[in-house]
Amino acid sequence: MSFDLHRPATVTEAVDLAQRFAPTARYVAGGTDTVIQINRKKIDPAHLIDVACLPGMSEITETADAFALGALTKYRSIETHPAFRGNLRVLLEAASVVGGHQVRNIATIGGNIVNASPAADFVPPLLALDASLDITGPKGRRSVALRDFIVGPGRTNLSPVEIVTSIRFTKLPARSATAFLKEGRRRAMEISVVCVAACLTLEASTSRCACVRLAIGAASPKAFRPEQAEGYLIGKPAGNESFAEAGRLAAEASSPISDVRASAGYRRGLVAVMVERALTTCLQRIREQNQ
Amino acid sequence: MNRKILNIVVNGESHQVLIEPHWTLLQVLRNEIGMMGTKENCLEAECGVCTVLLDGKAINSCILLAGQVEGCSITTIEGIGDPEHLHPLQEAFIECGAVQCGYCIPGMILTAKSFLDENPGCRPSRDEIREAIAGTLCRCTGYRKIIDAVATAADRIALSGAKQ
Repeated sequence: MSFDLHRPATVTEAVDLAQRFAPTARYVAGGTDTVIQINRKKIDPAHLIDVACLPGMSEITETADAFALGALTKYRSIETHPAFRGNLRVLLEAASVVGGHQVRNIATIGGNIVNASPAADFVPPLLALDASLDITGPKGRRSVALRDFIVGPGRTNLSPVEIVTSIRFTKLPARSATAFLKEGRRRAMEISVVCVAACLTLEASTSRCACVRLAIGAASPKAFRPEQAEGYLIGKPAGNESFAEAGRLAAEASSPISDVRASAGYRRGLVAVMVERALTTCLQRIREQNQ
Repeated sequence: MNRKILNIVVNGESHQVLIEPHWTLLQVLRNEIGMMGTKENCLEAECGVCTVLLDGKAINSCILLAGQVEGCSITTIEGIGDPEHLHPLQEAFIECGAVQCGYCIPGMILTAKSFLDENPGCRPSRDEIREAIAGTLCRCTGYRKIIDAVATAADRIALSGAKQ
């Protein structure tokens, strides 16, 4: 284990360094995944480029109709931000189950996304919010929808020299709520057996579903949106019956593996139950908002 | 050797250390600066015995590259009190009998301190305390008294804050 640690002052400098030392260079931010992977000899970079202190990438910015989260935003900042206590609660709920306090004080949400673990807890909430990523590379900037960004377990469409700088999503319309549920073998410091994020919007004057976005983690090679389940719910009355059917359809669309944490069959069962519960939680939250 | 100079402040004192790029903050604290209160165990941020405060916030020093904390301020267990002037958390841990083998206690106290500092004047519920220290494992199964101790310290700190 031997590498050089570089500490560029700007994104441009970081990208230049990555280009100069490619393919033996790797970016590092909070290091809570990278350093462990180096210690386990899973990766062996000759050059680590520390992006943790790059300016302008740790802010949570709110505009009239959208939010932008800097890629270096820490989980703890999401947990404690007042904007995520209302209908964007899914972000707070997911941020607060990542690791322990120590990890959440330093690990970045951008790191969680680019690692592209199928069990990444922060990815399903952002998928349910239809988030997109801003990326800077040698050829300039580009944007990509998160759902197109992650292509498989540990694989994204990011080139090794590009940097994710921020994550954007639009605010939710009235009569919307979100929820995040996670099941692990124990409650703290645990990798998800399955996690589910849901975003539900009801029609203006009925209790029918107007818009539904579901995202499921750890039950497929990558976190995914069960489109059939989402489509099924549009125009249906929100309630136990329709939510249970959506859960069944989501379970059908999942392709979990059996591993040390759970069997594939158990995971599929969890998907059905957790989708139903997440939607029920959303519905309760919409009702509470209107009281 | 491509050693580089690292400037850090540990418990209020400035240090200049010659480090190798792969050294972690834990290695620097123990091997170079001699702060042995910071413990080494899992080296994967699972157990929390290596917890120190980085600019006031609890982090796992075992997986943080020392080169990434240039110019930062670190607090270890040695920096929050001494035998004559114990920190309220240290006092409460002794009173409540919260220390068994002791290996997790520096991390436990610093994790609790980070949480209490973040929520000044708060008297957390037992569940909130459990949640706050979830990243720090005690293998003597002594959590009940540890939670008693954090609750006791939180009450005293809140009370003394209210008096001031």
